[in-house]
Amino acid sequence: MQARTNEQWLAELRGPNPNEALSDLYDLLVRGLRAALGGRAGGADANIEDFAQEALLNIMSNLDSFRGESRFTTWAKKIAMNVALTELKRRRWRDVSLQDLLARRTATGRGLADPQLTPEQVAFQNMVLAELRGIIDKELTDRQREAVVAVILEGMPIAEVARRMGTNQNALYKLLHDARKKLKLRMEAVGLPPQEVLAAFDAG
Amino acid sequence: MLDLGDLDKLVRALAETREREMGCDECFEQMDRFAELEFSGSDAATAMPLVHDHLRKCEDCHEKYEALLMAVSVGS
Repeated sequence: MQARTNEQWLAELRGPNPNEALSDLYDLLVRGLRAALGGRAGGADANIEDFAQEALLNIMSNLDSFRGESRFTTWAKKIAMNVALTELKRRRWRDVSLQDLLARRTATGRGLADPQLTPEQVAFQNMVLAELRGIIDKELTDRQREAVVAVILEGMPIAEVARRMGTNQNALYKLLHDARKKLKLRMEAVGLPPQEVLAAFDAG
Repeated sequence: MLDLGDLDKLVRALAETREREMGCDECFEQMDRFAELEFSGSDAATAMPLVHDHLRKCEDCHEKYEALLMAVSVGS
């Protein structure tokens, strides 16, 4: 494959004979996807090739958004990684409903304190817990509560939670950021700044 | 909705919360440049602190970033 500058890639892909550049770019994406995903694509080359094809279409329809702040090939690989990981995550989580996840939490408590903690440390944790529960109930909207539980506590991918809540990843991150800021402020207002609480936990 | 077993996770997330954080879209836009800086041995975290901060907090974006680093490592 011939080496190309960013300008050469763009000129060839936009030009009247883009086939050679398209074929080189496709090979490059396949190699990048193989290196990045390893066995994660189900071990099937067909998956990798599908991801590379879809990424290529995506790249071609978004050429104008390339701002030249990196190498063109890095930008193109970024799009391929996004295509592949979004799809793999969608498949992995497709059978998990948000409502089931939230309902399961209510049904199964996780209220046991670490047995190595002293009674004072357990009392401190219970006090922080009670404060936080009150603040969450009073200050967060239902959507913010759901998002905090699913993403922060349950570790569900933010894009998957967003899909189920009828929004997108960026908007859900912002909703979570607002929720975290609100909780942090209220914790500070009641004399429990999260950094100090965390330091006290870690000291225990 | 919140039990003792969750407490550490939530407090940690709150302790790391900043007034200004970059969103996922903006992070994605700048991720290729960040990856190249890191790959070339530059201090990407200092050059692009908001991207660095977002990647520490957002598991989804971090996963894409790690994949990109591996993809870049095979050359072009």
